[in-house]
Amino acid sequence: MNESIEVTGLRKRFGPVLALDGMTFAVPPGQVTGFVGPNGSGKSTTMRVILGLDAPDEGHALVGGRPYASLTRPLTRLGSLLDAGALQPGRTARNHLLWLARSQGLSARRVDELIGQAGLELAARRRAGGYSLGMRQRLGIAAAMLADPPAVMFDEPVNGMDPEGIVWVRGFLRSLAAEGRAVLVSSHLMSELEDTADHLVIVGRGRVIADTSTAELLAKASGGRVVVRTTAADRAAAVLTGDGGTVAPAGPGALTVSGLPAARVLTVLSGNGVPVSEVAAHRASLEEAYLELTASSVEYRAAGEMAREVAR
Amino acid sequence: MTAGTTARQWPAPAPAAAEHGGFWRAVLAEWTKFRSVRGLVIGTVVAALAMLLVGLFAAGSARFTCPGGPGFPTKTGAACLPRIPRGPGGQAVTDSFYFVHQPLAANGSITAAVTSLTGVHAAGNGQTGAGPGGAGPLAGMTKGIVGWAKAGIIIKTSTSQGTAYAAMMATGGHGVRMQYDFTQDIAGLAGQVSPSAPRWLRLTRSGDTITGYDSADGSRWARVGTVRLTGLPATVQAGLFVTSPVETQTTSSFGGTTSNGGPSQATGIFGHVSLSGAAPGKAWAGANIGAGRGSPGTGVGGFHQAGGAITVTGSGDIAPVVAGPTSYFPTATIEDHLVGTFAGLIAMAVIAAMFITTEYRRGLIRLTLAATPRRGEVLAAKAVVVGAVTFAAGLAASVIAVVAGPRLSRDMGLYVLPVSLPTGLRVIAGTAALLAVAAVFALALGTVLRRSAVAVTAAIVLLVLPYILGVASVLPAGPAEWLLRVTPAAAFAIQQSVPAYHQVSGPYGPPVYFPLGPWSGFAVLCGWTALALGLATYLLRRRDA
Amino acid sequence: MSQATGLMQADASSQRHARRAGSRAALRAEASAMRDALAAEWVKLRTLPGSPWLLLAVVVTTVAVSAAASAATRCPAGVPCTADPARVCLSGIYLGQAVVAILGVLIVSGEYSTGMISVTLAALPRRTTVLTAKAVIVTGLTLAAGTVAVGGSLLAGAMILPGHGFTSAGGFPDLSLAGGTVLRAAAGSVLYLGLIGLLAVGAAAAFREAAAAIGTVLGLLYLFPVIAALAASRIWQRHLQQVGPMTAGLEIQATRNLHSLVISPWAGLGVLAAWAAGALIAGGLLLRLRDA
Repeated sequence: MNESIEVTGLRKRFGPVLALDGMTFAVPPGQVTGFVGPNGSGKSTTMRVILGLDAPDEGHALVGGRPYASLTRPLTRLGSLLDAGALQPGRTARNHLLWLARSQGLSARRVDELIGQAGLELAARRRAGGYSLGMRQRLGIAAAMLADPPAVMFDEPVNGMDPEGIVWVRGFLRSLAAEGRAVLVSSHLMSELEDTADHLVIVGRGRVIADTSTAELLAKASGGRVVVRTTAADRAAAVLTGDGGTVAPAGPGALTVSGLPAARVLTVLSGNGVPVSEVAAHRASLEEAYLELTASSVEYRAAGEMAREVAR
Repeated sequence: MTAGTTARQWPAPAPAAAEHGGFWRAVLAEWTKFRSVRGLVIGTVVAALAMLLVGLFAAGSARFTCPGGPGFPTKTGAACLPRIPRGPGGQAVTDSFYFVHQPLAANGSITAAVTSLTGVHAAGNGQTGAGPGGAGPLAGMTKGIVGWAKAGIIIKTSTSQGTAYAAMMATGGHGVRMQYDFTQDIAGLAGQVSPSAPRWLRLTRSGDTITGYDSADGSRWARVGTVRLTGLPATVQAGLFVTSPVETQTTSSFGGTTSNGGPSQATGIFGHVSLSGAAPGKAWAGANIGAGRGSPGTGVGGFHQAGGAITVTGSGDIAPVVAGPTSYFPTATIEDHLVGTFAGLIAMAVIAAMFITTEYRRGLIRLTLAATPRRGEVLAAKAVVVGAVTFAAGLAASVIAVVAGPRLSRDMGLYVLPVSLPTGLRVIAGTAALLAVAAVFALALGTVLRRSAVAVTAAIVLLVLPYILGVASVLPAGPAEWLLRVTPAAAFAIQQSVPAYHQVSGPYGPPVYFPLGPWSGFAVLCGWTALALGLATYLLRRRDA
Repeated sequence: MSQATGLMQADASSQRHARRAGSRAALRAEASAMRDALAAEWVKLRTLPGSPWLLLAVVVTTVAVSAAASAATRCPAGVPCTADPARVCLSGIYLGQAVVAILGVLIVSGEYSTGMISVTLAALPRRTTVLTAKAVIVTGLTLAAGTVAVGGSLLAGAMILPGHGFTSAGGFPDLSLAGGTVLRAAAGSVLYLGLIGLLAVGAAAAFREAAAAIGTVLGLLYLFPVIAALAASRIWQRHLQQVGPMTAGLEIQATRNLHSLVISPWAGLGVLAAWAAGALIAGGLLLRLRDA
């Protein structure tokens, strides 16, 4: 757990707005931790505090057990991408990575290696001013990976990427976790993280609403329901109700069954000779689960966002 | 943990070749940043070129002409260069006076009482009166003694110009002085000479040590000073001298100065003249040292003896040449070729401020601080890079300007005042250091203000405007001088190669002379920069990035 | 690139269209576009947090330096004195113009640094109209602030200088606007500031980068007198002062020793106007030719 990111009791006020209100969570290694919440819920501020860019009014953030600002060669402990647009337009990608490498005592060879990894060979010697958003994201990701850190942190990494890029980023995040790194990735879109995150930290109004594994959250939202597709809906409903299930219609030729596990449903139906085309455990979307959880904070969302914009 | 079970998509870096300290890494990173933005590199080269070209243009813009003598065509350029004697210290000197002398082959002493010192000078010094009139060199001159007219006794290596000497003298307005080797001056009795208040003067020689005394009555003597003139030959020339310098009134108008004035001459009457240690039977001989075309005096000189008194008339000066428009021949200083420093300074202020403000504008500062969380180190690394780059560019430009510029000026007929090697090196390295510190100042202002336009303006206004207000005579001399003491512009004093001498009247103001000494002026800029850097570090640490 | 070309084609075709529709309609269209641009620029500048402070700074720096210079200058009777009371009591312009230059630069380059220029040009595709509107707004504000600054400086001078020997009995002009030369100095100084604002707007449009633009403007203003002071040649000294925007432009402040000016007052202001026009034309051309 030494290489993880820990955030404890962060509080920060921007003028009249409380941006962080006791934010507490940890990012374990070997997992992708999704950091989700509506715009203005304090995700970016938390990340800036982790990097020592913003000073919290209260609480602290540790990287590998130490405050970020006390790290020597910090990019070897935590790589990050907060703003892909933070580039000097006149500088080439290679030189951008080179100065970062120099700041960590790394060689120029490492830069060339990374340019290959990030697929930036063609752009490496062009000035960054002409890059597309996707190219900037790739360059930012390469910068984060420059010193091979055991922990990485990305703020909305797929923003503005094309579908191909999004798929690439998902695979990339999974592979980082598979290598044993702690991965923190923020998003305001739950669906982005559905297939990527092992663990979710859901935040609203500057504090953590839920800190749970993705599977657990989905199971809770699914509520043990089973979907049955059949040409004989009435017969199926009758036998399942007889076995103790609660049945509700779910469109033409489909039923939702609760109170019975999927295996039992299948046994009952086939035992009674009811023809079925599909029996499946209902899979709630992460979006639903998320909306359910954040319902309370949503009503403040708009107002909070506005106030934060003003405070910035 | 699944580490190691999957092939790494992102391979680990090779270990760093050498483990440098954190600050050195930050410096390397900032240097990489600087050199990888074309605008900054081109801007630096442009700054150095502008500095060089402006400096050479200012010096090379004029070709001087001078009359070639009767029957000869007018001369131009280098042919006009006057032959200026050099003093024992290597500096250009004026050494023109009327000398009534005898050889002194051994130790001995000379004594005389100055009973009268009168003179005439070019019109326009405020005094009016009936001039001698008529034609000749004295036409239109008015009666009156100028402040640094000198009459006294002197022991000098030879009658050649520029040789070592020590002298006791009464002056027109500064009492009795002991002066030696052109640059040195010791005050003696105060007050004006008159027949009722004569000034007794004595010089004694013992080997190469000369001691000067003065007295109001010829019986009670006070020692004024003892000097050692190294390498004084066995036989020296001792005697009486009178001289009177060019007196100039300088009025500065916007951007330029105009001088009015001209030569003066003085007449001194000496009594009780005695020379001990001289060869017996020798008589006084007169010599008009340094007279002739191109001399600073009227050229008039002579002496006559009557009833135990010797009356001597002379014109010129025994003093170091000071720069500026009062000089009787066109002079330049080595730093005149460095006027382009202002152009270089403006360009480097822009570059230095941009080095930080563009990071703020693009949000790049966050990445910088994530890579180097010790914020003071980031600022220090930026300062080192900007300072070093500016120093290098400034050094290249000022070496060329100070080496090539004076050659160009001499070709144009300007006499470039010689300077000692240490002074030359100080001017060159000091100019580069001035630019470097000024760039760091602009960087610090950029960090504090985060707006490049405001930061650049503040740096330029603080560094250049006081100088302009001084040069352009918008402000009267007092406040202008005060500005050049307290603002960062004081640092331009480090370029001053020719010192001001209190015993030579001259236009001791900008652009040639500065109120503070070279290093104290430079220290003022360093102080401002240290303050700005301190404030910048404090704010950078305190503010959220 | 394609967007920029599109904008320029739109510009060109609208001009063609205007020509066809007759000059009156075209004029009306131009006037309305200009009105919109002016209104937009005014709102932008008015709502920019820094601009009121900059205008205040123009007044404060000018009056403060002027008053300090007046307080420091004495011309006791009986001593020859070449000082010009109008120049002395308006010497704050030397500093005030730098603040005006900041204002002029920021109104243009501020849009480039934030990327707002694309929004502006999308709303008002006629680029020269946008630049003209900015120039008009800056000139108007600078003239207003300049009038206050010059008025305050003159007032301070009129209160201080007569006590320092600058009396009409001593041959000095009265510091009242009734005197022709003093009125010329005062009005000319206000115009001078307005022209500096225009020079800065033009330079900023040409350079886009605020630091480079302000460095160029201040270099133009401040370098000429410095180089002139150290130029070996008298002729070049004079020429440099005649073409320098500050050295020539500030001759408008002269009320004494008029025979020794390097250039006549109004011609000097004309030199500055030529610099400002040159900068605006260069900035306007580059704005049209370059991608935003």
